Amino acid sequence: MSYRFYPGCSLESTARDYYLSTEAVARALGLELPVLDDWICCGSTPAHQTSELLALSLPAKNLLAAKGETVAVACAACYSRLKAANYKVANNPEVRARVAEVLGANYDGSTPVKHLLEILVREVGLAKVKARVTKPLRGLRVAAYYGCLLVRPPEVTQFDDPENPRILDDLLAAAGAQAIEWPHKTECCGASYSITNVEIVQKLTREVLAMARDAGADCIATACGMCQLNLDLRQSDIEKKFGEQFRLPVFYFTQLLGLAFGLGPRELGLRSLVVDPARLLAEKGICDAGVPAACETEACAAYCACQHDGMKR
Amino acid sequence: MSTESQTAADYSDAFAPAVAGASGANPLVCLQCGKCTCGCPVAARVDVKPHELVRLVQLGLRDEALASRLLWECTSCETCVTRCPQHVDIPALIDALRQMARADGKVPEGTTVPAFNDIFLDSVRKRGRMYEAGLMASYKLKTGTFMQDLDKVPMMLRKHKIALLPPRVGGGGERKRLFERARSAERKPR
Repeated sequence: MSYRFYPGCSLESTARDYYLSTEAVARALGLELPVLDDWICCGSTPAHQTSELLALSLPAKNLLAAKGETVAVACAACYSRLKAANYKVANNPEVRARVAEVLGANYDGSTPVKHLLEILVREVGLAKVKARVTKPLRGLRVAAYYGCLLVRPPEVTQFDDPENPRILDDLLAAAGAQAIEWPHKTECCGASYSITNVEIVQKLTREVLAMARDAGADCIATACGMCQLNLDLRQSDIEKKFGEQFRLPVFYFTQLLGLAFGLGPRELGLRSLVVDPARLLAEKGICDAGVPAACETEACAAYCACQHDGMKR
Repeated sequence: MSTESQTAADYSDAFAPAVAGASGANPLVCLQCGKCTCGCPVAARVDVKPHELVRLVQLGLRDEALASRLLWECTSCETCVTRCPQHVDIPALIDALRQMARADGKVPEGTTVPAFNDIFLDSVRKRGRMYEAGLMASYKLKTGTFMQDLDKVPMMLRKHKIALLPPRVGGGGERKRLFERARSAERKPR
């Protein structure tokens, strides 16, 4: 199986561990993910807030370059923008004409776009995933967090039930973990204001973290570079600000799947996680080797930031 | 909302059709049931709630709608349109209002969202992909938010969460032309 991979900007920086673990899991399953040549940014929130035409043309340019191959996406925000462009271009001839004018080429909205979760669960299949599991995540209680943009609006993404999606829960169960029931699966973490309005982000992210903790989760699984960054990087600030304690490691689902496949913490980029998962993983007997610490010195990090762990740019 | 204080002259019949045309959303079918506001993650903090914003558009209260802080605090989570019984595409409507507010110079003081959006898009135009280190530096310079999250930088470097080198992507000339064509097409009336 082969898909044209659209990594998206965050996988090259803040979510590099999502990139690493995606590649590791794909290798383990024999899934080929050749990267879309010269892919460009989808425009994200700044584009749709600023110019509808730009917000449609940037994704359309990438989708046109895929030449009809199915595009695989890891980031929920990119996924949403690519799906929205397809939906609007395919369903509105006037929009299609305007986008064609900007692109200098006609795009009909027909390049299929799939998130990694859809590929793993619905195309590779849970049976094959299960067969590859060598170290089931027994006893690990995981809150499957989908966030906004995979599920909404449902007629655009056609991903899963927008109020109670199951696809990630099913995948975690196949990896031997216990996906807990909790009501905040699709609540917003405020990611679009991650830089411009931290107050909103802290309030919304706190609600997600508190609900996961109160529902008995040991950790959270995400399928989006933006959600993960807010829940993980901002967790200690939120604990201080609101006087709470969460201590919830926030994994990319690919990292948990990789652990169940017996892959090593280095290969899965576990040391890029801010809330250290080592104790939890050792406690559950999932990864006794321990998670290597981050680079010891800042100088080291500065020199190797781009080359580490076979990270491609 | 203080609609009582409005005079007839403040209402514009042209506003709702203009917003509908720019957004593809139809505000006139809204029943004011409030389901959008019930599910909105920022409803508790904003000056105008989502269903109230739609009402302002229905009534043609252009100034109140464009000055609303909701435009710059809506997180684009898409919960409102997902749950709307009339399927009013409020996120699309808000995007159109954001653009009108900027064109009219009505962006409320204190929000850095438009500045961030411009820097972000300029980075994409020049480099093809987001270059976070450069983006953050420009944003901090432009908005004076020097200290925000600065404490996290050493840790992010250690954890390799910041790419130091800018991305290199081909097709720069074509990309810049795409941006130019989009901008000039946006200015043309439909």
